[in-house]
Amino acid sequence: MASRKLGPEFTYDLSEFRRVDPDLIHYEQSAAVGTGLKEPRGIAVGPEDRLYVAGDRAVRVFGSDGRAAGDWATQMDPRCVAVAPAGTVYVAAADHVEAFAADGRRETAWKPAGQPSLITGLAAADGDVFASDAAACAVWHYSAAGELLGRIDGRPAPAAAAKDAGGPGFIVPSPYFDVAVGPAGVLLVANPGRRRVELYTYDGIFKSSWGAASFKIEGFCGCCNPTHLSALPGGRIVTSEKGLPRVKVYAPEGRLASVVAPPAAFDEAAAGLDVAADSAGRIWVLDPLARQVRLFTRKKTAPAEAKP
Amino acid sequence: MSEPKKQLSRREMLRRGALGAGLAGVAGTAAVLAARTARSGTVWQLDPEKCIQCGNCAVNCVLDPSAVRVVHAFALCGYCDLCFGYFPPGFEPDDEFETPGAESQLCPTGAILRRWTEGPHFEYTIDEALCIGCGKCVKGCGAFGNGSLFLQVRHNRCLNCNECSIAAACPAGAYRRVPADHPYLLKGEDQKA
Ligand code: SF4
Ligand code: SF4
Ligand code: SF4
Repeated sequence: MASRKLGPEFTYDLSEFRRVDPDLIHYEQSAAVGTGLKEPRGIAVGPEDRLYVAGDRAVRVFGSDGRAAGDWATQMDPRCVAVAPAGTVYVAAADHVEAFAADGRRETAWKPAGQPSLITGLAAADGDVFASDAAACAVWHYSAAGELLGRIDGRPAPAAAAKDAGGPGFIVPSPYFDVAVGPAGVLLVANPGRRRVELYTYDGIFKSSWGAASFKIEGFCGCCNPTHLSALPGGRIVTSEKGLPRVKVYAPEGRLASVVAPPAAFDEAAAGLDVAADSAGRIWVLDPLARQVRLFTRKKTAPAEAKP
Repeated sequence: MSEPKKQLSRREMLRRGALGAGLAGVAGTAAVLAARTARSGTVWQLDPEKCIQCGNCAVNCVLDPSAVRVVHAFALCGYCDLCFGYFPPGFEPDDEFETPGAESQLCPTGAILRRWTEGPHFEYTIDEALCIGCGKCVKGCGAFGNGSLFLQVRHNRCLNCNECSIAAACPAGAYRRVPADHPYLLKGEDQKA
């Protein structure tokens, strides 16, 4: 049988959107660490800029130079990890958080906060731990000892009249929902279904938001991005997206400052690009398909960063 | 505040990795199917996990339009306001995007219908009479969303040829015969023959 042909209108083509102005790419890959994990899922940077990678019922620890420094077995299947300034390592399975001492000893397993639950992001400050739950569309606020202190759902308090007081809450269409600790008591939450980053107090009071839906490099593409975020020294924020896998740095007020890695740096199907920054502003990016954590550092030729 | 019921049920499904697809008319075609499959008790189906949306399903079927159509697994869907299985790549939303014109739709045949449900959530359904099984929306949904749109041989149309001419042309080896009483390979469901 002679086969028929589809016209050009049936072609699906993202190539135009995968291109990025090279002048915006201020970072370059300077190293890559093989995780040795089949399904690495989350990363964090801790004291002395150590790198923690969670996945495959393990947490792997690397020095700031990428050399292996520890390998802890976990009883649960970890999805994300965070490290408090004092060194306690928090690891989350889908439905609960466990705390580990800096030497890898498991200290406590906390009670699940919600049901159903799918924890996809963790952040730790001095005395506070936050777990973003994609199934509950909420961020659980714990004390460092595991006491549940609150539930942040991004919805305005009943009395709040302000138009932008938080809106319909966190919209989480796919299993990516991240949280990070920003400077001075600010909690950063990715609201992927609204294609924006929202800022809260630790008590869940909405402060502000920035970000817009757009395929342009300034925006967050697709139905639900950013998938991950982390704070950089000086208040800037690094984000990652899926669909068009790209990693970018934004100034504290939400202006695009730099592209860290354009779509061309990744496999087209790359997703789950967890990000973490160290004290020098270097950016680690988890590349689950490559089973690596890739280190991006600022190019020597990059323009000076604007002061926040 | 409690979650909307639909959202909870979707999340429950996401968590369990199970789903049900919107296959209108499946039950109504059982008798037709039984008659067509009397010879072997099997029918042709494509595995959506293997399919790479090459376009051959739309043009290699002995039927024109093809017996292959897109189906929608509602339980996997994010009910997104900005669905990129529905909007074309690069679509930039403005204040009017809740009632988009044909030029703002990805499907060249206008086979995807978009309906507001609640809050920022929209439901997407397929007008099977218009779908030709090209797979373009499957690509968009897979790239940006949850992959809830996927192709299936629709057994209210398929002639169950001895040698399926799409199977012979499929570069992904996605076609196989499956038991006629489990004629669909729904994403996330353990229906492997
Ligand atoms: S021929 Fe195979 S790969 Fe191509 S669209 Fe059909 S099932 Fe998918
Ligand atoms: S884009 Fe192609 S597969 Fe999708 S609904 Fe339209 S005709 Fe069907
Ligand atoms: S068996 Fe025949 S009618 Fe059915 S999909 Fe294949 S070519 Fe089309």
